[in-house]
Amino acid sequence: MAGKSAATPSTYSPSPAPKTKRPIFQDVDWVRPDGRGFHQCRPAFLKTGAVNAASGSAYAEFGNTKVIVSVFGPRESKKAMAYSGTGRLNCNVSYTTFAMPIRGQGSDHKGYSSMLHKALEGAIIVESFPKTTVDVFALVLESGGSDLPVVISCASLALADAGIMMYDLVASVSVSCLGKNLVIDPILEEESYQDGSLLITCMPSRNEVTQLTVNGEWSTPRVHEAMQICLEACSKLAKIIRSCLKETASAPKD
Amino acid sequence: MVGLSVGEKHFIQGGIAQDLRTDGRRRLTYRPFNVETGVIPQANGSARVRLGGTDVIASVKAELGKPSPSQPDKGKVNIYVDCSPTAAPMFEGRGGEELSTELSGALQHCLLGGKSGAGAGIDLSSLVVVEGKVCWDLYIDGLVVSSDGNLLDALGAAIKAALTNTGIPKVEVAVGASGDGLPEVDISDDEYLQFDTSGVPVIVTLTKVGRHYIVDATLEEESQMSSAVSVSVSGQGRICGLIKRGGAGLDPSVILDMISVAKHVSEQLMNKLDSEISAAEAFEEES
Repeated sequence: MAGKSAATPSTYSPSPAPKTKRPIFQDVDWVRPDGRGFHQCRPAFLKTGAVNAASGSAYAEFGNTKVIVSVFGPRESKKAMAYSGTGRLNCNVSYTTFAMPIRGQGSDHKGYSSMLHKALEGAIIVESFPKTTVDVFALVLESGGSDLPVVISCASLALADAGIMMYDLVASVSVSCLGKNLVIDPILEEESYQDGSLLITCMPSRNEVTQLTVNGEWSTPRVHEAMQICLEACSKLAKIIRSCLKETASAPKD
Repeated sequence: MVGLSVGEKHFIQGGIAQDLRTDGRRRLTYRPFNVETGVIPQANGSARVRLGGTDVIASVKAELGKPSPSQPDKGKVNIYVDCSPTAAPMFEGRGGEELSTELSGALQHCLLGGKSGAGAGIDLSSLVVVEGKVCWDLYIDGLVVSSDGNLLDALGAAIKAALTNTGIPKVEVAVGASGDGLPEVDISDDEYLQFDTSGVPVIVTLTKVGRHYIVDATLEEESQMSSAVSVSVSGQGRICGLIKRGGAGLDPSVILDMISVAKHVSEQLMNKLDSEISAAEAFEEES
């Protein structure tokens, strides 16, 4: 060790950041870091029943993004809450300290809890559990990009697993605008270079958008194009979620 | 929140369906509004916007800070909104916190653009003094003095007016102070730089009540909404941000329709706001 140059750091760091910052995304023709097509989503893995104590739970893995969502309730609302003839939904999204390349960066995502709430409230039949609260707790184990869409989709699976009445399953997909290209389901690296992003949460069977956010500068035809791509991907994702639920239901109980 | 009888609810909904709202406006008409600039002498720039019964103040303070390591060539902008308990008793204590965070988040979303800085209403690279060492941090604070609906649009307009009013002191960097450590800077007292705010977008919120949507909803009308879409549109007619509030789902075609309506309305709003701001600036210089 002593022979090494003075520039060697005293502690070893695996250096998760790319060493050379490539401005590749500005060109028309480039390959995504994981070799996907521009309009191709990452392979999705979904599983229900990740947590035993919860009324319903789900685990989702989209590429490197790994998320657990557990649903508790319906249970009695807190005493301090005023009487309500409809049910309440309480959402919380948290990050593990090791979810991001730099430790403890997860606190940048404070807005996610309210975004999750807005995305789900339109789909849940709150009249079916008056006076009570349903808690949805999401934990991002590993952040690999497109965290919020994965959390939302996984939460709808967990809600269905808990037997909470919903109008339809909720699927969520985001696209990033990188230079001239629209890339669906961006990974962390692509997200850090993006010029704009669009996130859609929808109920595919009802053809209804429950949540939509656009960031960055867009022209109207581009928003139109991005929405089309997202809606198509959402209906595909909903099919995967549905088949996962069917598998759980048909599996022999032990 | 708003106590309305069944009759009043029907009156509001019926009026919107017939394109004649309770205060005599049509669905896509704004309430008359009024802009005052330079209301806070301690701030670098400030403005007060009154939109019907809604009254908001925005102030801009500039401080010298250090750019973030990931973006050494850009300054930083923070937007924070405070809901004063003077506006409504429910804002007392922590009651206004939820609304404050929602409004701050929405404004950041609508005005600050994407991660790479594209589509930002404020040109962050103009805030850099010495790359990687010194930059201006802009603290934009909004205050809700009185709330009668459509806070987001009013705050957006107030921030635009406050930024137009903002003067950043000119900074001289001492020569030869390069190398490690912070370079010495000399802040000028009488020379100011003005912002180019022509790129700052305006926010248009379309509130859906029944089957129709309206702009500039009052508090009573907001209590009847099923969902609302806020679109921020730049002067060039490009969309700089969009958020949806309210739980009810919307058909994708309705959203696209709302976006085109919002773009159309934003043109008029932008013209009106620009003329109001220049009138307010002229008035301030006179007095």
